[in-house]
Amino acid sequence: MLHFSRWKITLILGAIMLGLLFALPNVLSEKTREALPGFLPSQTLNLGLDLQGGAHLLLEVDLKDGVEKTLKSELAGMRAALREDRVSATLRIRDEAIFVTYKNAADAEKGVPIMRKQNVAVDANALGGGGKTLVIEKLSDLRYKVTVSKANIEYLSNRTIEQSIQVLRKRIDPSGTTEMTLAKEGAERILLQVPGAKNVDELKSVIDKTAKLGFHQVAVTDDVVLRLCVEDDQCPLGKVAYPQKNGGGYMMVFDREIVTGADLKSSSEGLHPQNNYPIVNFVYNATGARKFCDFTSKHVGEPFAVVLDGEIITAPNINGAICGGRGFIEGSFTMESAKELSLLLNAGALPAKLNIAEERTVGPELGADSINAGKVASMLGLVGVAIFMWLSYGLRFGTFANIALATNIVLIAGALSLLGATLTLPGIAGIILTIGMAVDANVLIFERIREETQNGRGPINAIDTGYRLSLAPILDANITTLIAALTLYFVGSGPIRGFAVTLSIGIVMSVFTAVVVARLMTATWLRHARPKKLPI
Amino acid sequence: MFDISLVRHLPKDTKIPFLKVRLVAMVLSVLAIIASIFLFTTKNLNYGLDFKGGTVWEFHLDESPTDADLGAIRDLGPGLGMGELAIQTIGQSDKDKVQAIRLSVSKQPALEGDENDDKAQQVALTAIQAAVVEMYPEVAKTENTLSVQVLGTKVSGELKKKGIEAVLAALIMVLIYIWFRFEWQFGLGAVVALTHDVILTIGVFSFTALEFNLSIVAAILTIVGYSLNDTVVVYDRIRENLRKFKKKPLEQVLNMSINDTLSRTILTSLTTMLALLALYIWGGPGLNGFAFAMIWGVFVGTYSSIFVAAPILLMLGVNRKGPQK
Repeated sequence: MLHFSRWKITLILGAIMLGLLFALPNVLSEKTREALPGFLPSQTLNLGLDLQGGAHLLLEVDLKDGVEKTLKSELAGMRAALREDRVSATLRIRDEAIFVTYKNAADAEKGVPIMRKQNVAVDANALGGGGKTLVIEKLSDLRYKVTVSKANIEYLSNRTIEQSIQVLRKRIDPSGTTEMTLAKEGAERILLQVPGAKNVDELKSVIDKTAKLGFHQVAVTDDVVLRLCVEDDQCPLGKVAYPQKNGGGYMMVFDREIVTGADLKSSSEGLHPQNNYPIVNFVYNATGARKFCDFTSKHVGEPFAVVLDGEIITAPNINGAICGGRGFIEGSFTMESAKELSLLLNAGALPAKLNIAEERTVGPELGADSINAGKVASMLGLVGVAIFMWLSYGLRFGTFANIALATNIVLIAGALSLLGATLTLPGIAGIILTIGMAVDANVLIFERIREETQNGRGPINAIDTGYRLSLAPILDANITTLIAALTLYFVGSGPIRGFAVTLSIGIVMSVFTAVVVARLMTATWLRHARPKKLPI
Repeated sequence: MFDISLVRHLPKDTKIPFLKVRLVAMVLSVLAIIASIFLFTTKNLNYGLDFKGGTVWEFHLDESPTDADLGAIRDLGPGLGMGELAIQTIGQSDKDKVQAIRLSVSKQPALEGDENDDKAQQVALTAIQAAVVEMYPEVAKTENTLSVQVLGTKVSGELKKKGIEAVLAALIMVLIYIWFRFEWQFGLGAVVALTHDVILTIGVFSFTALEFNLSIVAAILTIVGYSLNDTVVVYDRIRENLRKFKKKPLEQVLNMSINDTLSRTILTSLTTMLALLALYIWGGPGLNGFAFAMIWGVFVGTYSSIFVAAPILLMLGVNRKGPQK
């Protein structure tokens, strides 16, 4: 156990040097780091949001919304196809399914194949599961139940989440310069982490809005019909009622949009040319311009409603055909709200509603306090343990153990930097705990050496036997702790994972430093000093 | 050569009859476990936000709050329909450091027409922030907010489930490992000792009503690791001595092994305690609960490897004839 070949020594020292090299950038100032030549590592520890401050939001995507939308569009498609072939049937959506009731057997016979023909994925390869988008169940001879297939729900969910992520990225970071995490988490969630976020309220308001914009034709109606529609949800076919912003009561409009947010090319905030109050300017894309031009030329003198997320923000009259491909929305905006709306319109509408399922925001002040407290605690813990080891094992072996401990800390820092791991507050706890536990392997070895000395073995023999017999318990003890730490990593979440990471790395490094590094030191000393008696 | 080396003054070759008191220890352990379970079922745990859901907002005014300030903020709750608000100050009131306020809003029921209550928590947060800002406009400054945490039923429920799963998974994995490395009696003994430690830690948290959150789950898992570390070292020595002293009665071998490893057990507990004390005293409020749990865990874990894990081997008996790994 005490013989080290030359290449082994080189390897050990090399590993330590490498650890030092990777740990080094953490103690250098930013300026020095930038001045380093390119081949040297300059990556520092990533600080978790709980240490550097920032916003952590777990967003739940309302996927039912997507299913509902799919059903609606499938219903429209089926209804049109059935009508085209003159099949009479009633179609109704209830409990996330379309219920189709045919008028008679002949209709059913004609209708079922038409229904089946609708059941084809646009992109069958992407869908899997046979490419069927729907599941058609026969309830009775005339009644059929149509639901969205599992594969399709999964496909739609994934697409919805991906789209949501894209839209959010454009909304939060239009310039593409903010450092942030935006990723799918689990089956129905998006994790959004913005370090150093100053204004979380702004962030949340951007997430909160679907930004579904539509220009609708205003429907002529009377109070009775309107009330029936608003209060009892019994609206005339193809019409809906929306509330007006600023409490103007409800207004009935046609459900189908003239143009939507998707028909806009870009938008920006601005000031009204005459009245000088804030407005949102926009430019139509080619189809949008054509559609709006067509509509406005046919409906001069009538009002149209601008609906944003189920609220009418303005309902101006059409004074003449608008064919320039440009327009603006006015609606008692402030400069900020106009800016926000134009940003939302530029980013596009969210495909589904987002709910904030978890919010954890840490101010920069608290993060800095935590880092300082962590530094103080780890320094004092380290000094305490080092003094304890010196007192217990004397200068010789105490120093061996303490050099191993210091090497351990350097290697942890190096490994964390190399892996690009994130240091969190619990991670700091993991490091401090490691400081206390890392000397365990050395204690095990030293105690064994003492025992063997008491049993009458000479120094070299005692040390050799001590190292040899300690190896099994050290490995067993550390592997079991490692199992607990790894379990924590795989099952735990967020900052707790940071703890699992530092603890795991600490365990591995402590075995290396105690069993290899300290042994090398002991062996070297033994060879040069040839002691007659061991100082422990 | 100048040297201190205090370990040399430790009593050599101790022969403390640990297993003699195993009945006392067993009674003690069983009583403590019953008490823990009783406390847990009657008093339950003071679950933190992670497992309970709701809102915690930490902020500070421009000056340390007076009792009148705290009372006024606490009284906002009923007016907003949120029920009682929990409020406490955090941080020392140094001259240059303003004491912060920790305001907890209990989990709000789901809004009408909403399937889950996530939105309701956000609405509550917005309402309480607006109400406090109206009284103390300085709170609107973003640098005056230390932290905000909001969790609904769904996520907090998942975290709780995951936490329980993590502890169970760790116990099972560890059992498998010990089984693989030792004989089944050892595996069973280790898991009984670990379960003992986990139950007593939960008991202490129930008794003290300290906040039980995610970092405490991390602490429990670390206690599992630490306690096991201790147990394995003792077991390893037992295995070695069983081989060396084939004729000695089991009780003597067990006792000898505990004594052989005693100095190591004490020294490692002490260094770990030292580091943990530093964490407890200087590590800041965020790590206080974790450090407390770990200190307790090191204590219980050390006790259990001597007084639980080893005596169980005596109860179960060990196969001393067959091939030993």
